[in-house]
Order: sequence, then structure tokens, then C-alpha cells
Amino acid sequence: MKDIISLFFAYAKSGLKSRFQYKLDAIVVIFAVFLREAGGIIAMYLALLKFDTINNWNIDELLFLFSLIFITYGIFIVFFMALRDFSDWIKHGDFDRVMVRPRGLLTQLVLCGADWLAAFGHGTLGIILFIVSANKVGIQWDFGMAVYYVVIVISGVLIQGAVFLIFSAVSFYVVETNSLKEIFYWNMRKFAIYPLSIYHKFIQSILIFVVPFAFVNYFPAQFFLRKADMAAYPDWVMYISPIVGIVLYIIAYSFWKFSLRYYKSTGN
Amino acid sequence: MSETIIDVNNLCKTFKIHKRSSGFKGAVKNIFYPTYEYKKAVSNVSFHIKEGEMVGFIGPNGAGKSTTVKMLSGILYPDSGDITVAGYIPHKQRKEYVANIGVVFGQKSQISWDLSPLDSYEVIRHIYKIPENKYKENLERFTQLLDMSQFINQPVRQLSLGQRMRADIAAALLHSPKIVFFDEPTIGIDVVGKDKIRKFIKTLNQTDNITMIFTTHDMQDIEKTCERLIIIDDGQKLYDGSLENVKKGYVSSRIIEAEFESLPIQLDLQNAEVTDVDNNILKKIISFNADEVSVNEIMTELMNTHNIKDISIKEPEIDAIIRDIYEGKIVMR
Repeated sequence: MKDIISLFFAYAKSGLKSRFQYKLDAIVVIFAVFLREAGGIIAMYLALLKFDTINNWNIDELLFLFSLIFITYGIFIVFFMALRDFSDWIKHGDFDRVMVRPRGLLTQLVLCGADWLAAFGHGTLGIILFIVSANKVGIQWDFGMAVYYVVIVISGVLIQGAVFLIFSAVSFYVVETNSLKEIFYWNMRKFAIYPLSIYHKFIQSILIFVVPFAFVNYFPAQFFLRKADMAAYPDWVMYISPIVGIVLYIIAYSFWKFSLRYYKSTGN
Repeated sequence: MSETIIDVNNLCKTFKIHKRSSGFKGAVKNIFYPTYEYKKAVSNVSFHIKEGEMVGFIGPNGAGKSTTVKMLSGILYPDSGDITVAGYIPHKQRKEYVANIGVVFGQKSQISWDLSPLDSYEVIRHIYKIPENKYKENLERFTQLLDMSQFINQPVRQLSLGQRMRADIAAALLHSPKIVFFDEPTIGIDVVGKDKIRKFIKTLNQTDNITMIFTTHDMQDIEKTCERLIIIDDGQKLYDGSLENVKKGYVSSRIIEAEFESLPIQLDLQNAEVTDVDNNILKKIISFNADEVSVNEIMTELMNTHNIKDISIKEPEIDAIIRDIYEGKIVMR
């Protein structure tokens, strides 16, 4: 374990060092990510000034829901960046290099792919949203609450990691998976910005059973907010995000492991 | 010292290739009725390599040499056949196995573009868990042997291709591997750079008894470093033996190119073959075996019967020999 951590820091150090070879670009990237995402929030905020609430969720509660997406994504790109862009790793032959090194394949991919600058942009935004909203939504914070919050953030990261692990496994067969990611991740993520209860049953079931974004933010947020629309779902779903995360990750991992033997490498 | 370290038996690998029909109609048809082609990349290849040997793997593009090397280094699963390298089965025991090998991809650097070689080595030290003293010792030695001291702290993007390649070779050797695979290690590098690299490789083989496998298109690479040659074409092994042997078969063959003053040219030479030259009816190529008939005899014969404008004698180059082997003009055994 100690050894894994020291490898993580070695990768982080060299990764940051190479990004800061271009100091201006590095700093601009952080702001660019921050501003791009903040733009989306401002647009939502302005729209809500007209409506006041969406399905009884006020702006602060929506921001709380939203903050979970950013915080988990900020951590996600520290650990799962290489899996997010895995098609490129295959196309450019970088995965061959990973395979000839004496460490676990996923260990290497998870530890070395971090995009620290973008993570910083997303993470900062998530934390700001969280601080702004968490005070206003009437949560009685105690130690247990704080621990559970950390647990659901980790679960959210794991769920998204597992989704991309599945895309990566598909890359072993077809290499390019951009459209898959577009449909099953980025579009779903757009849905997850708003409360699940506003959607048609069909979209709800996709967000619960297919790409379980509901367990990244909606259900865990309900644990803290207890909005009336939760009545449509059984209570226990607020608690199972960690289980969903772990189970999905195990399934994704097994599929990845199985698919590895179909890796074809690329010609030179 | 001379134990078998790489043992390959009846290795096969077939790729399924998606066959695309052309045009819009074809593209639509492809979605519903995909058709596949099967390409045998490697078929029934066997060879055995002893510890400390330097073996050149050559073959034209798409011959299957890269596929073979990728299976040897644990990147690809073989369809059938056995591979044992240094006591490991590469595709099954990848993690334990690859700690024993080094791989140099000539076209794909393993050191980061924006960092100095030294920064990248530091990460490699962590990945391979190289003990501090061994790391220092190797680093010092390679820096000196590969003459890297003046650029080891410079970002790789500022290095010449030759310098980058030297830095890359050092990177693949820092963990003292038993076997090193070189995939086109001198591609695109100038003559002086190539020479430095070949000398280093040769030295290292002698001092550290590292087993080395090359895949290359550059026959000079092989001539300067290897004693043994494996020729692969169309997924099959065409030749496996000493480089000397290949050359010996040809060392006595000679070619005389002669241009005559005037027509008609009537050549009736014993033990020699006369071929025409496409664009010049006054020019002929005469090939013969120097063991059977001497150059002198042929020349005298030519001079006596014709007026000669220009004449030259050639020894076949190794490239030409290999080309003949690919084209099936000679069968080596």
C-alpha cells in the first residue's frame, strides 16, 4: 500500500511538472474549466428565478444536488482519467507500454492518468456550490452525517469509474467508443442535474438501472434533504449507493478482465 | 550460460478483420451483415533462443514479426502454441514476467515529451521498484556509455531524435532486464547516432549477457549486432540460422554489368547467366558463381568478342539477399 501511494505521488509529481512546463496554459485551463461549468450553473440559476422551484426543489436544494456531480467528477478525473480516454490509449499504443510494466494494469491506469488541473477546476466549483448550498438547505450536520457524505462521494466516484471501466472494456473489441460515452454518460449526466422525479418513467429507469446516476446524486441527496418527491421510491434506496458502487465496479472489472484477451494492439 | 531462455513452439495468431464494402450501400450493408476476413498473422512458428544471444527478426511490413514480439512480451494472447520466456508464460503471468524484460519501441517513446529523461527515470524507478543503489549504478553507467550527460536534464522535446532514442534505450534498461526487445531501435536516426546505439547494444550484450531480440528493417542493424537471423514472411518462418550462413551462400556470387559499344551482342558464356536491362539494349547483366568460373575468364571472354564501353563488378548486398529470400528466389534451410 505504501508502495502504491509512493507510485501515485511519483506520477502526480511528473504529471504536474510536465503540465507546468506551460505555466500560462496550466493556469488558463483551471479557469477555463471553472468558467465553462459555472456558466451552466448561472444559466440554470437565471431560469429558476422565473420558476422559483422545480418539483418543489428550490434553488439551494438544486445546487446541493448539482454539487455532488461536480465534486464526484473532480475526484473521478484524478483517478479515472485514463479510463475516460481509454480509446486514445489504445489508438496511440500507450496501452502496450502499460502492459510491459510489472504493475497491475488498472493500478497503472488509475494512478497515472490524473488530470489535476481540470480536477482542480471541477472540484473547486463543486466545493463552492456545496458550501453555498449546504448551509441554506437546513441539514443538521453531525459526525454521522459528515461520514455518510464522504461515503456517498466515494460511491459516486466509483459508480462513474465503473461506467467508464465498461466503456474501456468495449474498446478492446471496437477501439472507438466516443458515441457510446456521449449517449450513456454525458447525456445521462445532463439529466442528473435535475431531480429524478421530474422525468418520464422510462428515463428514470435508465438513470436507476442502466447508468445509475440516480445513486450518484439524487438518492443520496434525498438522505440529506428528505423532499416530498422521495415518496415515489422506497426509503432504503437512499442508503445503497455504496453497494451499487461496489457491485457495479466488480461487474465492470470482471468484464474488463475478460475482455482483455481480445486486445489487438495497433500495428506500427 | 547457454541455457534456452526463449522457447516458442507452434505459435499461431489469427486476426479477425472487419471487411468493409465501399459506397453508401456497402456501409449500410456492413452494419447489418458484417463480413470478416481472417488473416493469419503468425502461423506455426517455433524457435529457441539461448541466454545471451542476439537475434535479429526481419521480414517485410505485415510479415508477423511485430505480432510475434508482442506475444513474446505479453501484450497479445496467442491463439495456440506455447511460449515460455525465462520460465514464465508471458500472457498468463504478465506482471511477474515483464519485470524481467525491457522493451524499446522505436516509434513510441516511453519518456515524457515535456520532462527531462531524468524526471521520467524517476517515475520508472518507482514503477519497477528498483533499489536505490542499483538505480544509481545503472544510471551512472548508461549516462556514460550512451554519452547522455549533456542532455539528461533537458526536456525531451528539445532533444534530437538520436538523443531521445538513447535516453529511451537507457529507460528500458534501468531495471536490469534479462531480455530486451528492440522494435526498430534506429529508425530515422543519422549514421553517427545509429553507430553509437549499435555499439552500446553490443557492449551491453557482452558485459551483462542480456538476451536481445531486434525487429528491424535496417539490415545494417542486424549486421553490426547480431549473429543469428530469423526471417519471417507471411506469418511463417523462412529462415533461422546464422547471419554468416546467409552471406556465405552469396559471398561467391558475382554480378558483372557491362555496356557494349554496338550491336549485335552475342554472348555464349558457360556457367553464367545473362539477363537484359529494360531500358538499354546495349547493357547486359551477367551473373555467375565465382567458385565455378573466375571473373577473369568472363572478362577475357567479353573483351575478346566485343567492344566494351563500361563495365562493373558487384558483390550482392545483404539487403538484396534478403529480398531474394522474401521473393522466394532462394530457399534457405
